[in-house]
Amino acid sequence: MNKWKEIIFKSQSGGIFLALLVICFLISTQTSRFLTETNLMVIFNQVSVNAILAFGVTFVIISGGIDLSLGSMLAVAGVVAALFAKSDSGNLWISIPLALLTGAMMGAVNGWIIVLSKVPPFIVTLGSMTIARGLALIISDGRPVSDLSESFNFIGNDSFLSIPIPIIFLLITFVFCAILLNKTVFGRYVKAIGGNETASYVAGIPVDRIKCWVYTLSGIFAAIGGILLAARINTGQPNAGLGFELDAIAAVIIGGTSTRGGKGSIIGTLLGVLFIGVINNGLDLMNVSAYWQQVVMGGIIILAVVIDRFYQNMKK
Amino acid sequence: MMKKDLKFVLVLVTALIFAFACGKKEKEGKKKFIIGVSMLSMQNEFIQKVAQSLEKNAEANQVELIVIDAERSALKQVEQVENFISQQVDAIILNPCEFDASSPAVLKAKQAGIPIVNVNSSTKENPDAWVGSDDKESAKMAIDFIAKKLNGKGNLLMIQGYMGQAAQIDREAGAMAALKNYPGLKLMTSQTGEWDRAKSMALMENWIQSYGTQINAVFAQNDEMGLGAMQALIDAKMKDKVVVVSVDGIGDAMKAVKAKKLDATIIQDAENQGKKAMELAIQLIQKKNLKEKSIQIPFQVYIGK
Repeated sequence: MNKWKEIIFKSQSGGIFLALLVICFLISTQTSRFLTETNLMVIFNQVSVNAILAFGVTFVIISGGIDLSLGSMLAVAGVVAALFAKSDSGNLWISIPLALLTGAMMGAVNGWIIVLSKVPPFIVTLGSMTIARGLALIISDGRPVSDLSESFNFIGNDSFLSIPIPIIFLLITFVFCAILLNKTVFGRYVKAIGGNETASYVAGIPVDRIKCWVYTLSGIFAAIGGILLAARINTGQPNAGLGFELDAIAAVIIGGTSTRGGKGSIIGTLLGVLFIGVINNGLDLMNVSAYWQQVVMGGIIILAVVIDRFYQNMKK
Repeated sequence: MMKKDLKFVLVLVTALIFAFACGKKEKEGKKKFIIGVSMLSMQNEFIQKVAQSLEKNAEANQVELIVIDAERSALKQVEQVENFISQQVDAIILNPCEFDASSPAVLKAKQAGIPIVNVNSSTKENPDAWVGSDDKESAKMAIDFIAKKLNGKGNLLMIQGYMGQAAQIDREAGAMAALKNYPGLKLMTSQTGEWDRAKSMALMENWIQSYGTQINAVFAQNDEMGLGAMQALIDAKMKDKVVVVSVDGIGDAMKAVKAKKLDATIIQDAENQGKKAMELAIQLIQKKNLKEKSIQIPFQVYIGK
């Protein structure tokens, strides 16, 4: 029991975990459809893309940066994946690696520009957000890419051991990122750079190289999200993922990662993602209008962070 | 230490209530059907009219209606249908955002055994029933009208709907087929206005810059876009020289036709689409054999009379 107390009260994400429990409780008093196995599956399935984007951008934010181009990179990767996954001529062994490579390259370019030019990441990724969206429209000729092969569709809509494939992706990326952040030198470096960049230079950490990798990682994760999304709706859409970067960043912040960099956790991000997903799903089940949902969601984002701050202060 | 214990109790209590809530028995609802509706976009006046008709007919039939706006996103639409399935609604009425991308929504509803009716637009996956109008026909009527006005000769611009949506695909196909009958009518270019008035107005302004007085007619695939193009032409003082025709017959467009600003609108019958969709959904819930699985609602050309 002590261990649980430790986890709930001492960890950074204790506050958000409590908030998630309370929200779940509130929703379940309003609708009996919420706490059913199928609905919980639906929630995890619906948050999978946002979760994967958020995992990637957690590293960026911990390193003290930001990536606004997530949604656009997702669209480019989704369209690339779809173009090479057509039912007549497609081949998943080309389509998926190529989409991942595209994401990695776009992320790496973001990183290079940020490192070489010293222009703030906010501005660089704001620019690349627009560029990538344009590229997605160019390579797809502005039209949704459809007629995709059955096996591509499988990735988005089928299950393995009765777990939907997107959820499997979510779990794998979660474990990967948690290990990468907490158990590797890379993770320690990312935190160090976010905490104090100058000191990291002095300490001999390859700051530029790590930063490049962080944005590359973000690009790769955006690409995974793009592939999953395209597979889920069986279409590569050039306008996919509009505003997804904001959802992902909101989840990271709700999850307790500091926007000033230096500290954060993957489990916190997962909880943040679930928090948003549960609220969206719950409000839908309670038939709250989509317009009010946005108002509620924005309010809750602010409230969650305020509560978390309060909670952190109390702990001290 | 005290504070921590207090919080621990709080968590325990929350968890207990939570567990209690899990086991809570289903409340029996009122004895009427629940139908979930996901609409393409409530920003669009025509779609709003269909939704209003659905609401009116739901009330008359003692049906509880949950109308959700998909805000043009096929992904949102798929998720909304998944949530309807979780809610175990009795039937779903879908106004698809896109032909391909909204298709999984239909498939999922069918797999869950919930009857689904598509209204106004189609998906790749066939729903249990369909209500709408043959969009090819509407475009053909518009082109015929333009040809008559221009005596079969002139330059035409086409403003497309959201690319890849069934209505856009069909209206484009219908227009192209009809244009073959008029060798004197030349389609200079076409571009998407995304069903949106402001976007089409900007598009038309750009076209006025590049084509100027060569433009004789504009066919917009919906009224919102037609009204946008019309406004741009009025602002450029060119409207009296250019024929503008659009499809749907929304209130604003009919007013504009009456005021002799818009030349014609091809009326799509929102009222009947909503009514028939509701009838079909109820019949499907009651497991009645449908007389028709797809119902066509015919168009009319409206020229202010």
